[in-house]
Amino acid sequence: MARNRYDQDEDLEVKFDLNQVKRLLKYVKPYRGKMILTIALMLISSALGMLIPLFLKQVMDVYIPDKNMNAIVGMAVLTLVVVLAVAIILRVKITLTSRIGQGVIHSLRRELFDHLQELPFSYYDSRPHGKIQVRLVNYVNNLSDLLSNGIVNTITDLCSLIFIIFFMLALNVQLTLLCMCGIPVLAVLVIFVKKRQRRGWQISSNKQSNLNAYIAESINGIRVTQAFVREERNTEIFNKLSGDYRKAWMSVIKYNFMLSPVVDIISVITMALIYYIGVEWLKVGNDVVTVGTLVAFSSYIGRFWQPINTLASFYNSLLTAISYLERIFETIDEPITVKDRPGAKEMPPIKGDVEFKHVDFSYDDGVKILNDVSFKAKAGETYAIVGPTGAGKSTIVNLISRFYNIDSGELLIDGIDINSVTIKSLRKQMGVMMQDSFIFSGTIMDNIRYGNMTASDEDVIRAAKTVCAHDFIMEMERGYQTEVNERGSRLSAGQRQLISFARALLADPKILILDEATSSIDTETEILLQEGLARLLKGRTSFIIAHRLSTIKNADCILYIDHGQIVEKGNHDELMKEKGEYYKLYMSQYSFLEKMPEPAAT
Amino acid sequence: MKPIRWFMSYLKKYRWYMTGGLILVVITTAMSLINPHISGQIVDDVIQGGAFELLPRLIFILIAVTVLRSAFRFTFLMMFETSSQGVLYSLREAVFKKFMKEDFDFYNRNRTGDLMSRQTGDMDAVRHFVSHVIYFSFENVLTFLFALVMIFTVNVKLAVCMLVILPFTALLSFSQAKEIKPAFERIRRRYSSLNTFAQENISGNRVVKAFAKEDYETEKFNKENDAYRDAQIQSSNIWRRYIPIFEIFSNLLTVVLMLVGGYMVIRGEMTMGKFVTVNGYLWMLNSPLRQFGWIINDIQNFVASIEKIYATYQVEPDIKELPVPLKSERVSGTIKFENVFYYSYKDVILKDINFEVKPGQTVGIIGATGSGKSTLMNLLCRFYDVSDGRITIGRVNVKNFDLHSLRGSIGIAMQDVFLFSDTIEGNIAYGNPDCSFEEVEKAAKIANADGFIRQMPDGYDTIVGERGVGLSGGQRQRISLARALVKNPSILILDDTTSAIDMETESQIQSDLKTVGKDRTVFIIAHRISSIMDADQILVLSNGRIVERGNHESLLKQRGYYYTVFNHQYGEFDEFRAHRMEERRNQNGTK
Repeated sequence: MARNRYDQDEDLEVKFDLNQVKRLLKYVKPYRGKMILTIALMLISSALGMLIPLFLKQVMDVYIPDKNMNAIVGMAVLTLVVVLAVAIILRVKITLTSRIGQGVIHSLRRELFDHLQELPFSYYDSRPHGKIQVRLVNYVNNLSDLLSNGIVNTITDLCSLIFIIFFMLALNVQLTLLCMCGIPVLAVLVIFVKKRQRRGWQISSNKQSNLNAYIAESINGIRVTQAFVREERNTEIFNKLSGDYRKAWMSVIKYNFMLSPVVDIISVITMALIYYIGVEWLKVGNDVVTVGTLVAFSSYIGRFWQPINTLASFYNSLLTAISYLERIFETIDEPITVKDRPGAKEMPPIKGDVEFKHVDFSYDDGVKILNDVSFKAKAGETYAIVGPTGAGKSTIVNLISRFYNIDSGELLIDGIDINSVTIKSLRKQMGVMMQDSFIFSGTIMDNIRYGNMTASDEDVIRAAKTVCAHDFIMEMERGYQTEVNERGSRLSAGQRQLISFARALLADPKILILDEATSSIDTETEILLQEGLARLLKGRTSFIIAHRLSTIKNADCILYIDHGQIVEKGNHDELMKEKGEYYKLYMSQYSFLEKMPEPAAT
Repeated sequence: MKPIRWFMSYLKKYRWYMTGGLILVVITTAMSLINPHISGQIVDDVIQGGAFELLPRLIFILIAVTVLRSAFRFTFLMMFETSSQGVLYSLREAVFKKFMKEDFDFYNRNRTGDLMSRQTGDMDAVRHFVSHVIYFSFENVLTFLFALVMIFTVNVKLAVCMLVILPFTALLSFSQAKEIKPAFERIRRRYSSLNTFAQENISGNRVVKAFAKEDYETEKFNKENDAYRDAQIQSSNIWRRYIPIFEIFSNLLTVVLMLVGGYMVIRGEMTMGKFVTVNGYLWMLNSPLRQFGWIINDIQNFVASIEKIYATYQVEPDIKELPVPLKSERVSGTIKFENVFYYSYKDVILKDINFEVKPGQTVGIIGATGSGKSTLMNLLCRFYDVSDGRITIGRVNVKNFDLHSLRGSIGIAMQDVFLFSDTIEGNIAYGNPDCSFEEVEKAAKIANADGFIRQMPDGYDTIVGERGVGLSGGQRQRISLARALVKNPSILILDDTTSAIDMETESQIQSDLKTVGKDRTVFIIAHRISSIMDADQILVLSNGRIVERGNHESLLKQRGYYYTVFNHQYGEFDEFRAHRMEERRNQNGTK
């Protein structure tokens, strides 16, 4: 039961790995054409941009001395054309990059979501939900900067860097080498801080995740917080988490800020070096360098370092992004433990025989929850499961839907091993009402319809009537169109149970599982419900976990579970005769009445 | 403008930091003009002019200026980042505090994911604004103005000609700002909506799986995901029309220089040298102009976000304390409901409720689903205010108490058990975090939870999932009960807290409860007769009214709702008696 708390970092030991980026590039691949087009356009645009100073030079050097106003006007018109072309390219570039960036984010998020849908309960149970959410929403969003401009700009900058190096080499090899000797220095410095920077971003993303988890819990648990007057204490905890995030952020951001000044300083030093050595060579008067070359070269140095500076900032955002990326990929790589076997078939329409054959089960901590459970329920039978809290009752029913994999033994429905069929086709034919009745935000109508999307309004209302929910729904101001939300406030616990009851009914399942599903429903409604319930149970195999014996008594078979084993099995009368645990349970329900005078019994 | 003013009040604390930062921005901007000048000198005087002896000094200046400028730049970046993180920290705190204060009604209206967005995505836009946008726009405007002034000193006429584009730039800026804002608002809405969907899908994962609704969820998610992407693209469709125009404007300056400057030089109104000088300043006009479009985007994104944050922040809870509320260590005394009515969304939830409870008494409340039982208790805790009538504790209206005093004295175990992702000990000690382990253990024992907790691998240190996943309903209810008991409240409310607990355990718990805290007033809401039959008084609620009241016996005599429920639950009392008789017979027989 290795669970994670809101204030615990989820550590991930992954070495800095460019494979993460390679993997990201897979998502970029569908946009390869757009990408190449964008880069080509960008190169054209920067080439065009370089024309404008040339035009101006022409005006200054030739037309003005010639006092040729017409030529100047001509040049101005030409410039305007170039300017327009640059602007149009810019527009296309914006269009393309935003589509690429948003598109990649979109598909990454989609894949992550798809995978999350497949992950088993245990994944969701072992960490605060806010930490899953932060990956799906915030982390993915954090990549947008990298994806929309980062990649395109980097490639364009790389191109212009190669261009400039080429020009510089053509001009003077020695000076070029001199200029480039700054790069190893930069590389050493970058590698030097990389470890800290990377660790820093990992910490920061963890702190962000913790904060998110706490915000989510604080909102969901607000009723408890207010009831227990914990507002101030929680604000302190919140501030602590928020402060941790701030601290982590501040301590890593400085490395990001350092990079650009470092590049500046290295560039100015190489520039100084070139001036110094170049001038020395001039003084010596050898043929290595001429005045003209040195002058021309000095204008290239700036152009050489400028793309390097942008590359450095790309490197920064890459390091940041990797701390999010590795989390996203970690989730995508999370193994799906409960999954379809290769070649799994569709579950044929279920008749309803359910058989447990020597089933053992434990959660990942290895503590055995079920031990050699065997029983066989025939189609249409109602099985009641009773026993003390924590005996494994819910576990038994959860296994039927294959929410978890069994350790050993076999679980058969209609004689078919449930491991051999697709999970979806199996669960689609089951109706499960759980201990918590989760209500989605939306209308009551939508919530009931969740059981069967193709149901008409009339079907929904009929289901609601069957479970006695219709009356209270109609009493609400907007009836079935009343908006409810996740916390299901405005609805009492019993009302929520009735709604999820209707939801299960609408699904028209062959196997019905009611896990303490009616605990908050009052007796009067329950009496009314009996009729609906009887109709509901008819022709379905059902498993009922309940504490109210009136619900259990009519079951075809009662399983008494203790310590993960079936202790007693039989119907009410049989078990009463046995005078075992069930008998004790049944008698305890009434025993206190003995103390009372007997107005009711008379 | 109110949201901005509100935001400014948080920024104020960092005004000296920001001022310092802006001064450094001015200095570094000015310094950035030096290096090109020095480089020019090296080229002109040293390389071409042959004044080699100047070189060491010039190189020194070059390096010194760069190092200094880099240091300054780093410093101001850190100053803005510090301010930004500081502002963010206090904003988050302010919003969080407000969240803590908001009443139940607020949470009924707002979805979790939306509220979370205010604290996450929207906050991020604020962070970006303070850390980057402020200095960046200042830097650009500064450079722009500086270059303009310089060009004015060189040649007024030429400068005026260049100024012509200014009104157009302004017009364009306003137009973009106006058009882009709704686009950013849409992005914020979509973000919020996506976040909400993700949050509900994750929280509701059990239901999704149980109904095998993954495909449906995916389809819905795709819609949200598409909508978010489309909102982003839509916004880019707007600014892609503006940003190129700024680009054109910026390059137009070169054309102006060519035409007007060239004309003036030809006419002899300006020297060629001055033409060159102006050309040198031109990039300082160009590049800020190019940034304007982006800056406007950033600003409007910030405005859209801060407005959303503020809109949530400014909601005042309806439940308010008096200016000078009554503080009390322990609120206790006779509880009295007098003609209490409660309406919600025009629905009448409670009507004309009257009853009185003496300290130490136990009150049982029973009634149909949705009859108003929980609401009754919520009114007592002042999670909602009565619409009419009044509730008093020890003759004091609950509205007059300080909320902490009132709620601190009431221990409530809610029907909807919410546990935090914390250890079991942490969850039980929630209402009294500083209490000793013995107190936690004692409460757990009374709640009959100690046994199963100790059976867990990590005992009290076991971390339970959010909402208590991994625990059964009965286990959760018992932890929730223990949590209420640790507070040692003078009033204890058990709102359907034992529904998932078997009766034997329940009666054990009830008798243990009686031994501790004899003067404690207890409210028990339940559906099982056995849970409430020992109460001093029992209220039967139906459709928001008290329809029957009395104790167990008198209620049975009334042969009303209570009697019906009793008969249903214990109709087979005869069967039970038959078994008992048989037991006794057997016992006698063996004797």
